[in-house]
Amino acid sequence: MSKIFDLTLIYATIRSATPILFAALCCTITQQADILNIGTEGIMLTSSFVAVLTSVLTGSWMIAILMAIVSGVVMALIMAVANIKYSANICAIGMAINMFALAITKFGIKRFLGTSGTYSGPDIVGIPRIHVAAFDNNVFLNEVFNNWCITEVLGIIMVIVMWFLLFRTAWGLRVRCVGRFPMAAETAGINVRRLKYQVMIISGVMGGLAGAHLTLGYSKMFAENITNGRGFMGIAAMNFGAQNPILVWGGTLIFGCIDSIGARLQSYGIPSQFILMLPYIFTITVLVLAMWRKTTSEARKKSAL
Amino acid sequence: MSAENYVVEMVDIEKNFATVKAVDHSFFNLKKGEIHSLIGENGAGKSTMMKMLYGLYQPDAGVIKINGEEMRDLTPGKAIEKGIGMVHQEFMLVNELTVLENVILGFEPKKGVTIDFDEARKKIQTYIDDYHMEIQPDKRINQISVGEAQRVEIIKTLYRGANVLIMDEPTAVLTPQECVKFFEILQELRKDGKSIIFISHKLNEVMEISDRVSVMRAGKYITTVDKKDTNPTDLAKLMVGRDVNLHIKSGNAVKPGEVVLKVDNLWTSGEKEISKIRGISFEVRAGETVGIAGVDGNGQSELIEAITGLRKVEKGTVTLSGKDITNFAPKKAREAGLSHIPEERNVRGLNRSMSIEDNLVALKFDLEPFTKHYTRNKKEVRKFAEDLIEKFDIRPKKADVITQSLSGGNAQKIVIAREVDAGGDLLIAAQPTRGVDIGAIESIRTTLENVKKDGKAILLVSADLDEVMDMSDRIVVMYEGKITGILNAKDATKEEVGLYMLGQAEQDRKES
Repeated sequence: MSKIFDLTLIYATIRSATPILFAALCCTITQQADILNIGTEGIMLTSSFVAVLTSVLTGSWMIAILMAIVSGVVMALIMAVANIKYSANICAIGMAINMFALAITKFGIKRFLGTSGTYSGPDIVGIPRIHVAAFDNNVFLNEVFNNWCITEVLGIIMVIVMWFLLFRTAWGLRVRCVGRFPMAAETAGINVRRLKYQVMIISGVMGGLAGAHLTLGYSKMFAENITNGRGFMGIAAMNFGAQNPILVWGGTLIFGCIDSIGARLQSYGIPSQFILMLPYIFTITVLVLAMWRKTTSEARKKSAL
Repeated sequence: MSAENYVVEMVDIEKNFATVKAVDHSFFNLKKGEIHSLIGENGAGKSTMMKMLYGLYQPDAGVIKINGEEMRDLTPGKAIEKGIGMVHQEFMLVNELTVLENVILGFEPKKGVTIDFDEARKKIQTYIDDYHMEIQPDKRINQISVGEAQRVEIIKTLYRGANVLIMDEPTAVLTPQECVKFFEILQELRKDGKSIIFISHKLNEVMEISDRVSVMRAGKYITTVDKKDTNPTDLAKLMVGRDVNLHIKSGNAVKPGEVVLKVDNLWTSGEKEISKIRGISFEVRAGETVGIAGVDGNGQSELIEAITGLRKVEKGTVTLSGKDITNFAPKKAREAGLSHIPEERNVRGLNRSMSIEDNLVALKFDLEPFTKHYTRNKKEVRKFAEDLIEKFDIRPKKADVITQSLSGGNAQKIVIAREVDAGGDLLIAAQPTRGVDIGAIESIRTTLENVKKDGKAILLVSADLDEVMDMSDRIVVMYEGKITGILNAKDATKEEVGLYMLGQAEQDRKES
């Protein structure tokens, strides 16, 4: 038991949670403006490929992250134009983006990396880790806080930045208004379309970071469908946290924790198929619980008794 | 007066929506410091006209001038900049945000990158003090009353620096007492040099508050008159284009009979805290109209939904003609003899994408002769529909027309025809004349009178206090989900009902 629940579990949780966290932030910001970003998975997958490719070609993880962000924004903007300008259904366009991403990355890995399935060449330059020498002598600090990947730190900073943006700035107030009652925003002289575009661009940036971190930070490889539903887990966490970045973060940490525990259980003879199922079972459970909590609390709020 | 002295001028304005001419060569102007009423029936184009002034719609032709300057491609942002403010009929307030957040939205005072809430609070307080308006800046919108929400809307326009205030049917949601207070605020605003456009179809209010009155009918500008040169009867004639009977009084000829509807200690959930029904009891007898009065959102909708089976009754009973129908499914409640004209005509009253005949037969399309051997008998449906169309004067007189294109009045007549034809012992009429032109109001009220004469019981809910007072034999007044008074309509005065509506009076009453 103590082998499963030890100090290292804390960092393992952060490690597994971070890719989902960026995905969750990607759809949290849009949900605040009442856009359900089903395309999170596709944005993330595309940029994870672009990150690996750029890293291999340029040998720079910074340019790789930058290009991943650019590709994320491009994908998000495709959705934005279709949805905001041509009023296409956001779920339909989101699913289209997801399928497009699967196909284009499959093509890309063959065409540009010359392999199919998985690419994990030594020429992938990953995102560096932060080593604090002063932590080396303290078991707790060393296990929990040392050797974090830069993007893992960035993820937590982003949670705070997004929370601040949404709840402390005028821009955030406007976004929340657009999501809840767009006519009120329009009559206040706010350009609703422009705001929605801005939101989608931020969403693309987050999706880009999600992809870059997944293939350059979390792992150093690219495989077909490497996101493997993490975008949808992000959406689940967003629902769980009621679009509040802090609570959403909490949701992703639970995901990360389950995932890490699962990985450890594997060495105790529990079938790997079952372990692989865990995150998805948990996703469904979280969504059911979030909905159940929402409906019962609403019913209780409305009751006269 | 020379043209330069107008704050607002709208010249020869035209606006089309698809094939409908909403505004047709219309004019409007506003002097500084006046209250100018714009009157007309529903669909006359008043709101469309003002939404163009506020930049929400672009006119297809014509010129809009603000302070003498011609405006092109007006947007709400530009209009606000030019000092135009609008209080919409449907409040533009976000329920989940606080009063303060709603007021500053779009014009947030900033301290660095964050919103300076202290500064905002200070500024809003000056308006509260200047105009003696009671509002609570830190409450969320869904925690405050309708009257307060309206004051928030006014402060919002002032905060944005409005000199011209457009008020779209502002009194529709207020009690008589709140109206008095509201008019005082308007007077004070005028004294401060603000110019006010007052959209309404309540003629006595128009006569009370205006300096000048402009009339629109069917999208066209009719005329502008000085208040002192006119009277309500003339204005009504200008609005409708013919003489109208403004009041159809309840004929108290029928003697109430057996108890048809008995509501006993009813509790049910509510969309808002003040609309939860907490222990309501009353009765409606055969041959009697009981009117429910109250400020919108004090539980009237919830009460009707609970009676008709659309909302779960949490405690208490509903009895119809001696049969317990508590928590019956709507269809079963109807089978027990309940007919229901729902308040949301386009949501629950009609299927807008289906034809007049399909809507008319909706309650019995699955019964013989309309369906036989699992197939529909279209001929019987057509015969049935044409009969009702004739009887209730629904226009156009074509059974297969899709109801989408019908005017509010004719659409409502379909609902009335269907429910009256169903012939239940109890007819619940919720907002039967909302969004309906004066001509159709006359005919709908007459129909309801006849239903009562046939010995049916009627439960009427209306936001229009005049309608409740005119049509009812007894008036049940609701406030925050409870009954504050049951009055005899003959003896009740508007002021008295108003006191109960505000919860400032409560009867010590024993239900008979």
